[in-house]
Amino acid sequence: MKAPAPSTDVMRDRTVRRILAFFAVISAVLVAIAVVSVRNIQRSAASSDWVNHTHAVILEVNDVLSAVRVGDAAVLTYVVTGDPQSRVAGREAFSDVDEHLAAAKALTRNEPAQHEEVARLDTLAAKRIEFSGELLAARQSGQPDAVRVLLASDAGEEALADLQRTAENLTNEEMNLLADRDRTSFLQAQMTRWTVWSGVVVNLILLGGVVWLISDDIAARRRAAAVLQEANDVLEARVRERTASLTAANQQLVIENLERSWLGQSQEHQIRYNQLIIDSISDLVFVLTKALNISRINPAVVHLTGFESQDLIHQPLSRVARLLAEPRAAAPLVNPIARALVEGRDLRDQPAEVEDRNGKATPARLSVYPLRDRDKVVGGVVILRTGGPNL
Amino acid sequence: MNPWGQRLRWAGLGAICAGLAFTVAGLRAFTLSDLLGDSRMTPKSFAGRFWDFDYQVFPYVQDPDVFLKTKTGNCQDYAIMADYVLKRKTYQTRLIHVVLACGSAHDVCYVDQVKGYLDFNNRVYARTIQRSGRTIREIADRAAASFDQDWTTASVYTYDYTEDFKHLTLTVVKTDPPSEDPDAATEFASR
Repeated sequence: MKAPAPSTDVMRDRTVRRILAFFAVISAVLVAIAVVSVRNIQRSAASSDWVNHTHAVILEVNDVLSAVRVGDAAVLTYVVTGDPQSRVAGREAFSDVDEHLAAAKALTRNEPAQHEEVARLDTLAAKRIEFSGELLAARQSGQPDAVRVLLASDAGEEALADLQRTAENLTNEEMNLLADRDRTSFLQAQMTRWTVWSGVVVNLILLGGVVWLISDDIAARRRAAAVLQEANDVLEARVRERTASLTAANQQLVIENLERSWLGQSQEHQIRYNQLIIDSISDLVFVLTKALNISRINPAVVHLTGFESQDLIHQPLSRVARLLAEPRAAAPLVNPIARALVEGRDLRDQPAEVEDRNGKATPARLSVYPLRDRDKVVGGVVILRTGGPNL
Repeated sequence: MNPWGQRLRWAGLGAICAGLAFTVAGLRAFTLSDLLGDSRMTPKSFAGRFWDFDYQVFPYVQDPDVFLKTKTGNCQDYAIMADYVLKRKTYQTRLIHVVLACGSAHDVCYVDQVKGYLDFNNRVYARTIQRSGRTIREIADRAAASFDQDWTTASVYTYDYTEDFKHLTLTVVKTDPPSEDPDAATEFASR
């Protein structure tokens, strides 16, 4: 037995709801991917800022060292040669030292260890600048001895080497930080890639689900259409059979009707023929019911009695005709006509009289013949003969 | 001759003369005294005088007269001169030094009254003043974005031609929370 095919509307509603649910999930995944990706990008940008920050610290520290070296060399050149350009160059270089140190301090203000190193760098640079200032002052005031004393007491390369060591320490620390920050940045980039690709895969799976759902729905619709078609075919076959049966019955009915019509015509003809026969009889003919009421008469009755047919129909026979008792016989207890009908036997040639419209009696001879229908007496025929030798 | 044709000819000649006069006036070198003596000086008109200047890097701040005479300089020369001139025209200005992620730096002169800064790189454009927020961070963001780069630090500094010395007064670090910026409290109070 086949399961009933689901209603198309119900099926469509369910499928639409499922597809909408799938698309809602896909949208949610897309939004989630977008949010996570944007956050990762923001983190990545922040990591990138930190990488730039580290590079900036290294750059500023190196610039400090470089500016101190340039300024130191320029001041020494001025002291030796008296070249004013060297003095200006020295002053500008030391000015740059302050600028770079200020930037380095600002960059490391939230990193205590590095900030301490920058402070140490600041101290060393300040000492070097102070020494250069003293040297310049001695040179400008024309005190060669003082210049010589200052140069003799100068740690020279050692002081610069100390400065360089501090800068290198700081740079190494920053390089370690750089490695960490670069790793963080890399991991965040990897996380972003993973997030995006995972989202793409999830969405592809969901889209596959939607495709499956749609194809399943189409297949279900096709099955439903096939079942419907099959049912229609069966129904059409039944309709065809029924139509053929009805057509045949109708044709049979038409034939039967035709036959009945012919039979009716034949019976009518027979009745008319019988009527003509009865009407042509000169004797008075009465057709009686079982209760002896007149149901039919022939024209001879009308002619003799003067009554019209409608005056006698449903009237008792005794109104126009009656049996006459035998001269020597006693009056019967039961009407002989009724008894003949009850007993189903003929009553022949009995004396009787017929009374017309005016009350005039006419002698007649009466015969009764019971009418049978399948052995059952349903009425009778009374014939009154008014002429003849036995009256 | 058709009188309308004659009028058109005279009008064309007049336009050519006016254009030539404008070009000659524009090409004529001006001095710092000219700038200071201009009583109708505005940031916009100041910037309009530098449209034909060439760019060249110098490791120091040029003497203002040399800068104007040679018509060659960089963002630092331009910003410092704008600060110097406009301050004397009752404008409130700030010199901003933005260090980019690549290590190079860019200087601009922010003018409070016009809510924007003068940038040497904008001298040839019709829009010579770049609109920006007041904070150092906002200015640095906008200035660095014009190079399609990130920045690391931005500082407010002062400069005096006679001392020839840049003094950094406030420095903002990009990685620091904006609420910890040295000018954050000041800006919040002023708003």
